[in-house]
Amino acid sequence: MPVENKSTVTRPVVYTIRGCDSCVKLVKKFEAEGVDFEERRVELSQVTLEEARGYGSLVPIVVWPDGRVEQGFGDSIGCFI
Amino acid sequence: MPAITSVVTAARFAQGFTYADFVAQAAVNQDKFVANGKTVPLGEQDVAFLRKAAAHPRGPAKMLALAEAWCGDVYRELPTAARIAEATGMELRVFLRDQNLDIMDEFLSNDGKSRAIPVFVFYTKEFEYLTHWTERSASAHAGLAAAMKEAKEKLSLPPSATFATLPDKDRQALLLELVARVRPFTDQWRRDAIQEISQLLANALSIPNAG
Repeated sequence: MPVENKSTVTRPVVYTIRGCDSCVKLVKKFEAEGVDFEERRVELSQVTLEEARGYGSLVPIVVWPDGRVEQGFGDSIGCFI
Repeated sequence: MPAITSVVTAARFAQGFTYADFVAQAAVNQDKFVANGKTVPLGEQDVAFLRKAAAHPRGPAKMLALAEAWCGDVYRELPTAARIAEATGMELRVFLRDQNLDIMDEFLSNDGKSRAIPVFVFYTKEFEYLTHWTERSASAHAGLAAAMKEAKEKLSLPPSATFATLPDKDRQALLLELVARVRPFTDQWRRDAIQEISQLLANALSIPNAG
C-alpha cells in the first residue's frame, strides 16, 4: 500500500534493496543517527516495488512525513528499479 | 579477471538456475523479463557470428550469469543472454549474486571495488574461461557520464558537484534530470551490449567479428 496520508504518518518510509550499496549506507546512517523509520524492501515484493515506482526511479527512496520525496543517497545515484 | 583457480567447476555450474527457473523464482520483475525477452535486439548477423563462435573448437559452450531480479541492468540484459544461449546452443546457468559471492568476487569491476551485475561469463565445454561481460555497455557508461554533465549544466550546478556534496534539493533535481536524459537511450545500449559481447568473444577466439 502507498504511504498513508501524510497527516497520519509520523516517521519516514524508506524503500530499499538490500543488495544496493546506497540503500545499505542510508539505512546504516539512519540507524546511527537514531532516526525512527520504516523500511520497505522492494526486492521482496512486486507490490512494494510498484509502490516505490510511484515515487521514483531509483532506490533508496525516502518519503518523509511532510510529503517530501528523496531518491538516491551518498556519492552514487543508487539503483534503478 | 577470474582467479587462476576458479570456484566454478562443472558440478557448481550445474547448480545454477536455468533461465526459466530463474524467472520463475523471481519475487519481482517477472513481467520485465518477459517483456524484454520479446524485444531482444539480436539481429541475423549477430546470430550468425555467435553461432560461428560457438562452433569454434575452443568456442563458448557454457555461459554463467550472475544476477538479481531486482536490478534494472539485469532485467534489461539477462533476456539477451538467454536469447544468445537459445540461438547458439550454449548452456546458460544463472546464479544469484548475493548467494554466490565467491563466484561474484572472481568478476569484480571498478578496479575490484564493485559487485556490478549482470555478469555473463563464457567458458569452453571443458570450463576453460574465455571472457566475460559486465553490467552495461561502454556506451551506456559514457552516456550516463554525458547525461550527468548536461544535467549539471542545465541546472547551473558546478561540474565538480557530486551526489555526496549537493544539498538535498539540488541532488533530487539532478537525479530527475539525469533519469529523463538517459531513458531514451536504453534500447541502443542493449544493441551495443550485443556488439560488445560479440567483440569480446571474437578477441578471445582470435576470429573476426562479422556474421
